Amino acid sequence: MSLEISRRALLAGGGCLCCAGLTGMAQARIAPSAMTPLIGPGYKPLETDEKGLWSQYERIEQDIAGSNLLIKDPKLVAYLGGLAGRVGGPAARDLRVYLAHIPEFNAFMAPTGFMVVFSGLLTRMRNEAQLAGVIAHEAGHFLRKHQIRAWRDVRRKTDAFTMLGMGLGGLSAAGGGFAGIGDLYQLAQFGTIFSLAQYGRDLEKEADATGLRLISEAGYSPIEMSNTWSQLIAEIEASAAMRKKRPFRGTSLLASHPAPADRMADLRASAVEIQASGRSYDAGRDRYLSIIAPHKAMLLDDQVKLNDPGASLYIIQNLAKDGWSGTLRYYEAEIWRLKGKGKGADEARAVQGYAAAVQMPDAPAEAWRAHGYSLLKSGQAEPGKRALARYLAMKPAASDAAMVRYSMAQ
Amino acid sequence: MSRLPLILAVSASLVAGGCVSTQQVADVQFSPPEGDYSLIVMRPDVTVGSVTMGGLTEPRADWTETSRANLIAALKAQQAGRGGRTMILETRAQAGANAELVADLERLHNAVGASIQLHKYLGQDLPTKRRQGIDWTLGEDAVRFGRSTGYDYALFMYAEDSFASTGRVLLGVLGTAGCFVGFCAPMQGGRQLAYASLVDLKSGDVVWFNVLQSQLGDIRKPEGATQMIERLLGRMKAGREVRKAAS
Amino acid sequence: MRSKSLIAILMSFSLAACAGGGGGFGGYSLVQPKARAVANGKMTVTPPRPWNRVPRSYYDIAEEENWTLNGPILDSIGFIAALKDGKAIVRQRRKEDRQVPVFRSNMTPPEIVSMIESLYRIRGGAAEFAMTGLKPATFLGRQGYQLDYDYLDQNEIKRRGRSYGAVIHGRLYLMLLDATRMHYFEHALPDFETMARGAVLRS
Repeated sequence: MSLEISRRALLAGGGCLCCAGLTGMAQARIAPSAMTPLIGPGYKPLETDEKGLWSQYERIEQDIAGSNLLIKDPKLVAYLGGLAGRVGGPAARDLRVYLAHIPEFNAFMAPTGFMVVFSGLLTRMRNEAQLAGVIAHEAGHFLRKHQIRAWRDVRRKTDAFTMLGMGLGGLSAAGGGFAGIGDLYQLAQFGTIFSLAQYGRDLEKEADATGLRLISEAGYSPIEMSNTWSQLIAEIEASAAMRKKRPFRGTSLLASHPAPADRMADLRASAVEIQASGRSYDAGRDRYLSIIAPHKAMLLDDQVKLNDPGASLYIIQNLAKDGWSGTLRYYEAEIWRLKGKGKGADEARAVQGYAAAVQMPDAPAEAWRAHGYSLLKSGQAEPGKRALARYLAMKPAASDAAMVRYSMAQ
Repeated sequence: MSRLPLILAVSASLVAGGCVSTQQVADVQFSPPEGDYSLIVMRPDVTVGSVTMGGLTEPRADWTETSRANLIAALKAQQAGRGGRTMILETRAQAGANAELVADLERLHNAVGASIQLHKYLGQDLPTKRRQGIDWTLGEDAVRFGRSTGYDYALFMYAEDSFASTGRVLLGVLGTAGCFVGFCAPMQGGRQLAYASLVDLKSGDVVWFNVLQSQLGDIRKPEGATQMIERLLGRMKAGREVRKAAS
Repeated sequence: MRSKSLIAILMSFSLAACAGGGGGFGGYSLVQPKARAVANGKMTVTPPRPWNRVPRSYYDIAEEENWTLNGPILDSIGFIAALKDGKAIVRQRRKEDRQVPVFRSNMTPPEIVSMIESLYRIRGGAAEFAMTGLKPATFLGRQGYQLDYDYLDQNEIKRRGRSYGAVIHGRLYLMLLDATRMHYFEHALPDFETMARGAVLRS
């Protein structure tokens, strides 16, 4: 499925946490201070092949702007644009950010200066500094002209492949190589050359270092970039552990992707150095949480309904570090219900979870519905009907009101 | 945007001899529009690039823009010669109808076009569809579009063209490229792929559909574009019943 | 379940064409407008006009059958009959990261809906799946549900669905119409309604 070509899938083959940074990778670390932007404000391409890419992506941007999959909430869009403005460096005024309603941890930067952020990113970020770090990393690719460098590199490599007679199958599967495709799912799959983690070791390190520089100059806590990675690694490991398997490995795309543990170590070391300057930094947690609050239920809904319990539990437990809420309790219970196959310890945890959710003042209406049905299932008719009535009171125009009333009447 | 090239990319390899092939299907009652008719050409989708040795196609802005301009000029000329009124859309807003309606129609047409390809050209025939003719529609929303824009017909057009880079040509000459340990990939120097789909906005029905595959021709030149338009649209044949009645 | 993306469908068929067989999976067959046993023969349905039976795909389960009028990209009706407790409505590997929940005999209608929604979100790549209606209904002469939903597929095409279903002797029976919101859903709906009302259980 095309959605699987995402950062987590690309990352997952990168090795274990325990191998982190003990092998003297520090020598290969790129200093953020060395990362000067290679383009200025209002940049336009001069070389033929870059012009070709630019022209394609201008049309792609038109199509993306008209996509059915965009989240267009004005406050959210303005917020993301504002972040890009703060950490975009010389391109701050040129960058455009689109938010796609796709529950994946991914973002990509087009060579023309527009960025698509997937809603799955917002589900996972714990504070504004983390989100700014992702945006700054992507801006780094743009400011250091990585896209055209990566394209030329891939082109050189594929010529080499042909001489060896290999690799044609995989490449032709990537849509014949035309980048002229405008919808977001396709771009996520076939446009991975510009996706979050597809540039090769050196370019990724450059983008990391550039990103660090950009966010620290904007006053964001630099350690948060490495925290983003450690969270993602932990999520992937949790997902695999739940399915009792090793973290997903082995797409050919991993070949050019450097070990995430290395990058995490480099980011951490650089952040420590930067923070040693004594300046005070902010993670922007409260601001981020209040902007996301109205969308939290939708974001969790999208994630939980993918039924990847290891990943979803990790995410919710991570978010709960800022405090449990009715919404978080409800979605945690949903994870157990979807996993549990209707019986056993998992189902019992779901039942307990709904009961816990409705204790909280912000319990969503759906928590009352789920609680009501689990009471009915266990033979507690009267409390069950009361809970369902509460659901209907909270959501009189619910699309399943007729079914709920019917269940109450049994 | 259209997904059709993906299917045709595969079937293109089955085109023997690499010459020009077009294949039309039309509604059995179809008569090519003539006289005082109006036609809106939905955003033509044009891409021209260079095929690298590794089989990647590198889009070329200059080639694409030139080709697009050539095709649009050729379209205008060809339609002028037929006596109708033609508008060629550059943006969705230009149509003069609700932009979201236009977008939804484009997307629906992708699905309908793909279905026509699948069930008329690739052998996945649907037994309930008439053997002759096309039996697909864009429905009432296309009629609504026709009424609000005032056009009789809508044409959906897609064209892609690619040309072999020097390295690629060399490999073709060597004759060994693409074959390794029993796996032979289709060696395509460059190929031209285009489709056109005519929708009658009075009914919303797709009344005519044509697919062009070729390894010759160059739409970066005006003559090449004129030739593609001629091959794609110029030889529009009437539907079966109409041809029978005429003979 | 005809909820695959355009790409997946097209690629699977184009691969079949590549392999030299025009109808690699066996091709479409005609469904005559008369009573017919479907989905492993466990249900009888009477189409009011001719339909096309979709050739079986790798992802189909034994208990399912799919029909179409204009091609599965545009419209399809899926039938599932006598699905046992513990089985999934789609073929999937045991170790998939994301799994469509299996059917359980003690599922409430909202849980059946949730299972269908998961199918769309996980395997169909659907974004923005919205249940627009869920109410009690009679299916195969038993108490069951009617589900209505709208969603966006991977190609950003707006789509619509309706499903009737019931759990009978612990097994799942359902019919599901999935089509583009523009034109094709409304076009197929009358046939779907007729067939659902007239569907009969076969013992």
